[in-house]
Amino acid sequence: MSFINAVVAFVELEARRIRYNITEVITRVVQPILWLVVFGPIMASVRALPTDGIPYIAFITPGVILQSVTFVSIFYGLTIVWERESGILKKLLTTPVPRIAIVLGRSSASVIRAFMQFMIITPIALLIGVRIVPNPLDIMFVIIIITITSVGFSAFSIWIATFMKTRERFMGIGQAITMPLFFASNSIYPINIMPPIFKAISLGNPLTYSIDALRKTLIIGTLDGLITDIVALIIFTTIFTLLASIQFRRLIE
Amino acid sequence: MADIAVSTRGLVKIYSNTVKALDGVSINVNHGEIFAVLGPNGAGKTTLMRILTTQLRPTSGEAYVLGYNVVSDGDKVRRFIGYVPQEFSVWTDLSGYENLLIYAKIYGVPRHEINERINEVLRFMDLSDASKRLVRTYSGGMIRRLEIATALLIEPEILFLDEPTIGLDPAARKMVWDKLTALNKELGLTIFFNSHYMDEVEMYADRLVILNKGKVVVEGAADELKRSVGGEVVELTVDDMSKTVHRVNEMNSLGIRDVNIDNDRGIVRVIVDNAEEALPVIITTLRDAGVRIIKASISRPTLDDVFLKYVGGKISEEGRLQEVRTLRSVIKKG
Repeated sequence: MSFINAVVAFVELEARRIRYNITEVITRVVQPILWLVVFGPIMASVRALPTDGIPYIAFITPGVILQSVTFVSIFYGLTIVWERESGILKKLLTTPVPRIAIVLGRSSASVIRAFMQFMIITPIALLIGVRIVPNPLDIMFVIIIITITSVGFSAFSIWIATFMKTRERFMGIGQAITMPLFFASNSIYPINIMPPIFKAISLGNPLTYSIDALRKTLIIGTLDGLITDIVALIIFTTIFTLLASIQFRRLIE
Repeated sequence: MADIAVSTRGLVKIYSNTVKALDGVSINVNHGEIFAVLGPNGAGKTTLMRILTTQLRPTSGEAYVLGYNVVSDGDKVRRFIGYVPQEFSVWTDLSGYENLLIYAKIYGVPRHEINERINEVLRFMDLSDASKRLVRTYSGGMIRRLEIATALLIEPEILFLDEPTIGLDPAARKMVWDKLTALNKELGLTIFFNSHYMDEVEMYADRLVILNKGKVVVEGAADELKRSVGGEVVELTVDDMSKTVHRVNEMNSLGIRDVNIDNDRGIVRVIVDNAEEALPVIITTLRDAGVRIIKASISRPTLDDVFLKYVGGKISEEGRLQEVRTLRSVIKKG
């Protein structure tokens, strides 16, 4: 019971912080909007990429959404590191809340921010003519995919953060990780047109599976092969949540 | 509940197998007292407090808070303690009220009591008027009071404060301490704090330990410790310190208890029973011996003198540098 109360309190904390920082939310969606509104239509007019009959802007929409989700997850996974530098993490450790609730609760910050991105980018995609699948089952999967991706990448960033303990060392990391992840995936072009080496890298990139899953559920409306994507995502998220939890002790000391 | 609020036995903490932060610390803190841990930076004060507040596990030894073992009964300890870390423990992009609201929910304060409890701690800490403002706009002293307010939300039995007034101006320091002493006197709250400000410890602590290089140097009431150093001190600025020490040591008749050199300030301290009587004699003797006296003054003993006697300023500084170097190399290795 105290476990759930604490996690809910952390969610409320994040919601209240967002309310005071609307500018930040808006600046974060500028880049994804540029991809959709500028890059998308221009590339679509070339008709150079084989997208299996999906309009090009619709093809890149899941990639753009998830790039944004990945970025905020990696960024807010770090929140806990910043709170280690301040005294907040120390203080939380002395409250009656179980430690796992602290890790999960603070990571929930990234899930909330990720959904904020999704809720802003998707209507814009709709406005410029992207058609999404209005099926409740598909929408449910969309929510699951975004949540797992967000938890996975924030665990990944906490794990990395346990090695580089200061904020300064981590400042540029969001950009440094997310852009290569974005380009080495099926976000803006299909994997099968890539040179073999990049193809191999993409298949090892968790973002590829997230994007494939989101494309299937949000744009195409098929559950075929979804299981592979979801299993891959679950493996990724589990591995890094475990690694982050094991290494978490290093952050405390 | 037992009379002993906090007790430790042979507490040792070694970080990453190399840095010994605590080296066999045994202390006892009574219920209802204000207890200080005094020591230079790097003495192990924060490590000790982090073990007592269940954040870290000791490498060996035992620690009890309110009779509960901090390792095996950590969850029980956490229900009765309030803690204010040395750094920030509030979110500056929320209002004071919202910080208290979030902490109240994290602590699991019953829903129908939350509002009342928050208003109570705000009033007590004189923050009611500022409660709707963002913490970003608060002064350093207001932030500290807000942090103490969050620690009071669960109505703790012991309050742990790590360097509670570090970086505050004298007026803000006094205000924070007025509130803390009121908590101690009115509610009988036990207060355990770390500090490297001698004057603060002297003024507010009922009892204290001096910690240096992870070891307890001395434990007792401030008055008791000052008495143990001696009556009064004659401070001399001279051109030849070693000759001065030598000559003064030869003067047995004056009730001279101790002579030591404070290298940091470049002075010789002579601890005597009655400084006013001793001073003229000391001056005459030194002049006869050819020592030039540049300045002479008299002072009553302070915790500075206690510290100097038991620790010795110079030695601990060297030790600290060594410790910092070791710690840095450990961090570098990751």
